[in-house]
Amino acid sequence: MVTTLKKRTVVICGGGFTAGLIARQLTAQNLDVLVLERGGDRADAAEAKLPSQRDELRWDARAGLAQDTAVQTYSLRHSRSEEALPIRRLAAFLPGEGIGGAANHWNGQTWRWAEYDPIMRTRLETRYGKNAIPAEMTIQDWGVTYAELEPYHALWEKLFGIAGKAGNLRGKIQPGGNPFEAPRQDEYPQPALPPTEAGLIFTSAAESLGYKPFPMAAANSPAAYANPDGMRLGQCQFCGHCERFICEAKAKASPEVLLYPMLLKRPSFELRTQAHVLGVDYDRDAKRVRGVRYLDLMTGEAYEQPADIVVLASFVMSNTKYLLMAGIGEPYDPQTGAGNVGRNFCHQTMSGLNVFFKDRWLNPFLASGASQTCIDEFNEDNFDHGGLGFFGGGYIYSNVTSGRPIGHRLLPPGTPSWGTKWKQANADWYAHSFNIYVHGSWYPHRENYLDLDPTYRDAYDQPLLRMTFDIRDNELRMSEYVTKKAEEIAKACGATIVSPPTPRKGPYDVRVYQTTHVTGGTIMGADPATSVVSPHLQSWDAENLFVVGASVYPFNAGYNPTGPLGALALRLGDDLISYTQRPRHL
Amino acid sequence: MSNEVDIRLGRRGFLKGVAVAAANPLDRKLLLASGGLTAASAAQPTAALGAGANEPALAAPEAGYESLSPDEAGFVEAMVNVMCPADHLTPSGVDCGLAAYIDRQLAGGYGKGERLYMRGPWRQAKPQLGYQLPLTPEQFFKAGIAAADDAAKKKFSKGFAALKDDIADGFLHDLAAGKVTDARVPLASWFNDLVYPLFTEACFADPIYGGNVGKVFWKMIGYPGLPATHARDMTEFRGKPYPAAQQPKSIVDFS
Repeated sequence: MVTTLKKRTVVICGGGFTAGLIARQLTAQNLDVLVLERGGDRADAAEAKLPSQRDELRWDARAGLAQDTAVQTYSLRHSRSEEALPIRRLAAFLPGEGIGGAANHWNGQTWRWAEYDPIMRTRLETRYGKNAIPAEMTIQDWGVTYAELEPYHALWEKLFGIAGKAGNLRGKIQPGGNPFEAPRQDEYPQPALPPTEAGLIFTSAAESLGYKPFPMAAANSPAAYANPDGMRLGQCQFCGHCERFICEAKAKASPEVLLYPMLLKRPSFELRTQAHVLGVDYDRDAKRVRGVRYLDLMTGEAYEQPADIVVLASFVMSNTKYLLMAGIGEPYDPQTGAGNVGRNFCHQTMSGLNVFFKDRWLNPFLASGASQTCIDEFNEDNFDHGGLGFFGGGYIYSNVTSGRPIGHRLLPPGTPSWGTKWKQANADWYAHSFNIYVHGSWYPHRENYLDLDPTYRDAYDQPLLRMTFDIRDNELRMSEYVTKKAEEIAKACGATIVSPPTPRKGPYDVRVYQTTHVTGGTIMGADPATSVVSPHLQSWDAENLFVVGASVYPFNAGYNPTGPLGALALRLGDDLISYTQRPRHL
Repeated sequence: MSNEVDIRLGRRGFLKGVAVAAANPLDRKLLLASGGLTAASAAQPTAALGAGANEPALAAPEAGYESLSPDEAGFVEAMVNVMCPADHLTPSGVDCGLAAYIDRQLAGGYGKGERLYMRGPWRQAKPQLGYQLPLTPEQFFKAGIAAADDAAKKKFSKGFAALKDDIADGFLHDLAAGKVTDARVPLASWFNDLVYPLFTEACFADPIYGGNVGKVFWKMIGYPGLPATHARDMTEFRGKPYPAAQQPKSIVDFS
């Protein structure tokens, strides 16, 4: 028995980061918005209050804020010739659940991507020649330029109170900032966070090698802050409980702090929690969607929710799965290269090494999720790739985000795994070590893609999304090269011990956390033949359907994905205002 | 703002916690016994160190096991005492609550397969695809104990719990290296992917879970624990020893 509800103007699937930003734009014009979120409200729960917030076992080791794998997971095979098996416990990346989604448990590391990122294919072909990009690297332009997105970047950074130091103001390089930064119109809304001891050591080492270190831009507020909407952030306490945690001080800019409390007061906004979207109703002949079906988890009843406009704003994986299940657009076929839904699935290429100092106090517990110092010389196309045999790169940084003791103890190479020597090494080095890391790009490969698993099903009796996915030669070579650069910095730190570098190796391992930055599956582009959504994030196959999230990135940069997502979501909000006035292909 | 209230409460709680710890003779004794002054302990006289091996520095953990049988408990106790021997850094693994922690995890949601996708079909594949057995972690843990104990009996003519410490230690290293095998139970993966993470959690998780009794491991490394409201500390103690790391506070101190 399915009840059909009253038609709504805009229905958004998923109550996370992008949904909140879109709804901010729409409801400011008093447009009717309904958000359907599978999880609940965590704002007053144990995960958001002291002392239970500071429970590393519950929220970090057991991933208590992430999607429940028993209900919904994904399957993986490394190649088409293998049989995929379900990921029985998610660990490599951690989708969120509840109001705010994964943006509740982020670290706060904030980047605008490089100015050339939206035109990456054009850039590489111009710089290295038409034939330089290997055939299997299906990298492509976004169909929108950085300049078009800049005002939305600026607005989003003000809304989220981002703290940083500009490196490029209107084309003029600024001392102390990132010289490779895309040009900004204004300084960051808040000054950069203070560096950690690790950041100071990293700065000296990087400068001695001629690099230009700078503070990472952060969503961890250095002071009490009120945004243009009058929403407030508290002051960051450098407690080291950001990633995988909700900030009990409300100092980490997140949707459940800055967006939803405001939206819930707006008359044209409605949020339904514990509402799990089962699918999108597609009218293939009309090339439109009618609405969505969802299950009310509180009553067990299913509903049809008609809508003028549907926005898919759930996690990367779910956005792709909804399109595949509804048959919207052609599923990608790696054999022929035809079809687009599911292609260009990417992750983040992480690697690094550890440095140990007998006489220096690193105090890793005095840190926030983004109080880090970086260099950008070896990211993406900031350096010449001529003759290197790969494209892409990453930023290198002093990676101290926390001293949580289950997961953040570094031990010198050769330390036994238990016993008195193991304990002694923990006692000797815990407060005297840090990690130098590479946050590397992941470019698309013809054989890396998503489709529906033919065998395994979730708790709603729907197929799991299947990842056919592995780390390929381009990323292996990139990681080898940039990790060596990290090692050079490590050796210039004056450390007592430098551990051997660990560039990324295959095969892709579901047991190891590698950031929650998976991308692709519903990629954007100017050409319907090679993209799922237009540069305005409008489906090519259903005029009143829009998709937003990292699923629209045609590749994953060496930068964290949140900044451009904020810009894209705010711009989509404005596009939808225009669309409601005059429905059309934008 | 509500967060400011939280922080102020935290500060008061923190001060109160310090007073309690100082007044608690067990805590003081432990601090000495463990040389708990951590990495700073390089400068400590070593005479006080080593006392931990002979003195019952900690209150005994709650007696009794929820999940483990007497034989299984014997295996786990012997194992944590080998992996965490009583020495100048901590009391023995059992006295640190490590066996109690493992038992409670196995008896609770984690052990029963909470958040674990448990639908078939079941197939085995390369390790990078993760855990693929139709056993809950509790069932797998117990199957591994039985198989490892059988292997010990075959090799040494006695069960694991009866082995001398150095022999037991070598046996555990062999388990980790995949040199102890069983026809049915994948013992290397059992030890490395299930047992070992539980061991490190037992040491370093908040003491509310039964391990890390008296915050002994936090003291050992110098992790200050809660409330971690470090807005000023972050610059004030940058590059310097952090005094409160010697007397860490846990969730219990603020509950």
